[in-house]
Amino acid sequence: MLELNEAPAYFERYREIIPRFEEFLEHLKKPLPLYFRLNELKCPREEIVLKGLERQGVKVEPVPNFPKFYRVEPRDFPLGNTEEYYLGYIYPMTLSSALPVLALEPKPGEYILDMCAAPGSKTTQIAQATGDRAVIVANDRRLDRLAALVANLKRLGVASALTTIYRGEVFPYGVPFDRILVDAPCSGEGRYRQGYEGELLYQKEGHTNLPAIQKGLLVRAFDLVKVGGIVVYSTCTINPEENEMVVDYLLRKRQAEIVPCDYPLPHHPGVTEWEGRVFHPDLAKAARFFPHETESVGFFVAKIKRLF
Amino acid sequence: MKKRRKKIHKEAKWPRVVSLEERDEVLSFWEERFGIPKETFADYLLLSTAKNYWLFVKPPELRPLQNLQVQTVGLLFTRRVSKWLKPTSTALQRFGHLATRNVVELTPSELDRLRRERRLPFEAELEEGYVVIKCEGKVWGCGLYAKGKLISYLP
Repeated sequence: MLELNEAPAYFERYREIIPRFEEFLEHLKKPLPLYFRLNELKCPREEIVLKGLERQGVKVEPVPNFPKFYRVEPRDFPLGNTEEYYLGYIYPMTLSSALPVLALEPKPGEYILDMCAAPGSKTTQIAQATGDRAVIVANDRRLDRLAALVANLKRLGVASALTTIYRGEVFPYGVPFDRILVDAPCSGEGRYRQGYEGELLYQKEGHTNLPAIQKGLLVRAFDLVKVGGIVVYSTCTINPEENEMVVDYLLRKRQAEIVPCDYPLPHHPGVTEWEGRVFHPDLAKAARFFPHETESVGFFVAKIKRLF
Repeated sequence: MKKRRKKIHKEAKWPRVVSLEERDEVLSFWEERFGIPKETFADYLLLSTAKNYWLFVKPPELRPLQNLQVQTVGLLFTRRVSKWLKPTSTALQRFGHLATRNVVELTPSELDRLRRERRLPFEAELEEGYVVIKCEGKVWGCGLYAKGKLISYLP
């Protein structure tokens, strides 16, 4: 477990990547703000939810440029115990976690694959963004995690998703996917802060070769999407070996390009050099989000187009 | 773990797309009982497994999806209970706000008691049968109104 006082030493290797490094370290001492997404599929009148939560003593404020997202005070309020949660009117999720689906831009009528879908925050966000009219294949390789995904799809009243339990790396061919989201398993460094100490996956599963898994998932996603289609690769970690290096691997193996994207949160270009290795110049079009600049979890997002 | 996953794969079967007659029977029930027009579900397929009906978005083509080994497809919509059709609470929570008939408005204390005791003595100008249970603008799900009682089918 990484204690908070060990964080400066741990993150030191990223000093060159993280803007205003000292401010970043200071920010880790603050707990994560609480946000939720309002589910209009089930709740046609927003004020029912907002007034209901306010009656419980909660302050709820809309987040600028993030339609349907609200920030909640106090941040330790148990949203999961509320009637609004039980009825599927809200989905608690951190703000930056909404970015991959914004980059994906799913449309009604399209085939969408969410390759590592559980517990379903992004799958349900895709369903909402398309008015429950895209064809969503929500996949996760683990049965216990799939159960949580199925429960959330049911809770949010989503009728546009089917669930599967394949290993992403060998997901079968045959569906002409228009867009694929690879929100890859990662070491989770972007989540690290007070209250989340010890959550880093690299420590829990010391022998897991995350970059190898991530490359396998991304290459398969690319091979599954149709020509001209979009693959969004995202993680909630800072480590370039799990981000740029993974996308660089794809760019060298396949005919792909990174598409620039507008995001409603402050961000920085992906790195094009790390520990002596030079990456494909397209990686500057990927985006890095940092906890202290977004009041949220650190994220990496690359929007990739299949050219051939 | 490997064994368990294999077993699930073996059992997983694509639900059947129902015939036009069967689709019309189920959607007519929703229309007649709750006043929710059939067109509400025009963009959805109706699929069936044993005694359950599932609502699933109409894809451009179904065939490529049918090659996948699926765990669940769509939203559990309606069940066949002996000779009756019963709406699920899940589906009512999603579409129940469109209902114009057979909607029961409860006070918060009545809802509490119904959830706790599973039934309430209840008199209302309603046809006997399944009803939409609402409280303060929120749809909670399915109840059965019969013989001066309201019976809870809430999860």
